Amino acid sequence: MLDRLTDALNAPVPAPDPATWRASLDEAAATLARLAVRRAGAGRFRVTDHDVRMAFSGRADDGDSAPFAWTARTARRALGLSAVRLLATGAARSPADAVRARLEESARWVRDGNPCASLLDRWLAALPAAGRAAVGAEAVTWATRLWCALDWGALGAAPVIGRDRWWDSPHSALLALRGRADVRTARAALVVLSGPRRDSVRAELALVTLVDALRQREQAAPGRVVGWWPDSGHLVRVEPEPAVLTLAAEAVALVLAGAAPTLRPAA
Amino acid sequence: MLLTPPRPLLRAESPGTCPAGPADEGTGRELLALLRGTTAARPRFDPGLAGGLRAWLEDAAYGVVARRGEDAPSLVLGPRRLLDTDEEGPRRAASRRSPRSEERAGTEAEPGLEARLVHALFRQLVHTGAVGDPLADALDALQASGGAVSARAVAALPVAAREVLAASLARQVANLRMVVPRLVPGWMPRTDDHVAIPLAGGRVVLQGTFDLLVGVPRPGTASLCALGLSTGGPWPRERRTLHYLALLETLRSGTPPFRLALIESTSRRYGVEDVREEHLRALASHIVAWLSADGRSHTEGAARA
Repeated sequence: MLDRLTDALNAPVPAPDPATWRASLDEAAATLARLAVRRAGAGRFRVTDHDVRMAFSGRADDGDSAPFAWTARTARRALGLSAVRLLATGAARSPADAVRARLEESARWVRDGNPCASLLDRWLAALPAAGRAAVGAEAVTWATRLWCALDWGALGAAPVIGRDRWWDSPHSALLALRGRADVRTARAALVVLSGPRRDSVRAELALVTLVDALRQREQAAPGRVVGWWPDSGHLVRVEPEPAVLTLAAEAVALVLAGAAPTLRPAA
Repeated sequence: MLLTPPRPLLRAESPGTCPAGPADEGTGRELLALLRGTTAARPRFDPGLAGGLRAWLEDAAYGVVARRGEDAPSLVLGPRRLLDTDEEGPRRAASRRSPRSEERAGTEAEPGLEARLVHALFRQLVHTGAVGDPLADALDALQASGGAVSARAVAALPVAAREVLAASLARQVANLRMVVPRLVPGWMPRTDDHVAIPLAGGRVVLQGTFDLLVGVPRPGTASLCALGLSTGGPWPRERRTLHYLALLETLRSGTPPFRLALIESTSRRYGVEDVREEHLRALASHIVAWLSADGRSHTEGAARA
């Protein structure tokens, strides 16, 4: 896995034909503009990979499902990414040390009233010690799997860990798209996937490409997106091809077509 | 695959013969030494083994798809369903009627809950090395893991039933303290590592969860140890579950763990053995048989259900 995943991120990215790429990007932007105008006034929409997955499975996240709640499972990615960041910078020597450091930092922020403290930090601070240990254990597993799956020294200068990117529609302040990636290098973005293999996964990953392309319109095409299931070791690669932009724009349209106005609560 | 010869070892002690001790009283040193073995002798393996096993399983899985139809929902199979044998059915029924289980009748808020609580305490012990009040800690862990409903079910138990449960958890934690090794963070211990291997394009999924994995994966070398926690299931089945997980790890990463350990929380029994190619082949053969012949009735039953 170490070699396979690192190679998938490092392999040269085939550059699409600039004219075709540009035309596809303009078409995708036009599709999004139409969607934004049509939905204006309907509420605020933040389209994520999760929404794409729900839309493809025919289950719109329309508010009937259980509301979001912090649990060991929902907290593991945020804590795990913080831990991997500490490992990558050499500030921690093992995932367990890194997660422990992050949990201690979280407690300190809340105790000192630091404005950096997030809702997650406050939830963690309110947990009893055994509850925090359970959350930490889940995050250690998540972080260890990612940390051990890559040859970090071979990824080039300072990979960016856990920074999601947003694209806000210029046509409507109500529409935004999120491109979630767990590790970004100069050539590629790695997305850690969970759940079963599914038909929607290429559309989920295409959203990352679309967001990057819309944000850097005047520049070259963004890199490859690699989806990785730690449960099975499977990889899915989405190359920056014009068809990927179309797929992502169609996925956003599908989400908005089936969505209630409160698809995602405003932050 | 070249793996070191098996050195099965079993340490068995009667449940409850040792008093509960503080966290540092038990060291788990012997188990740790057995897991490590000689560090120089990490086995290499035949790189074609994983591919061969997968091809074998894929063939059987496509047979299932042919019977169930392309559009049937995915058949998700775990060790409990795949490894239960006809002979184990009556034995488990008998164990359910044992005096010990009758003594505890009515203390289970929901099936399997006590095992989940013990498992939560095991995770805590591995990652922090300490457990305070076992029942309180287990319920706190359960709640933080999204098990608030189960935690409330325990809280709603009659006082006497809660006391029986608390005593059972305390006894099991005391046993775990004595045998669970203290693992340095550099060994990358991780608990609840879930494995899911899709076959036939995801229409059949083999899944399972390692209670504890230790070691850093190295390409081409078996470098992981897996440790399983048994909360009282039949030892042979729990051991086969570990072999099953070793097979899944082989399919996931191309390399099996090189050593397996099984700990029983109701006693201080534990065993350590090397993974051998025969284990993996035997399990693959069993799954193929399940999918192709025995599995017919199972899958038809599942379809009816």
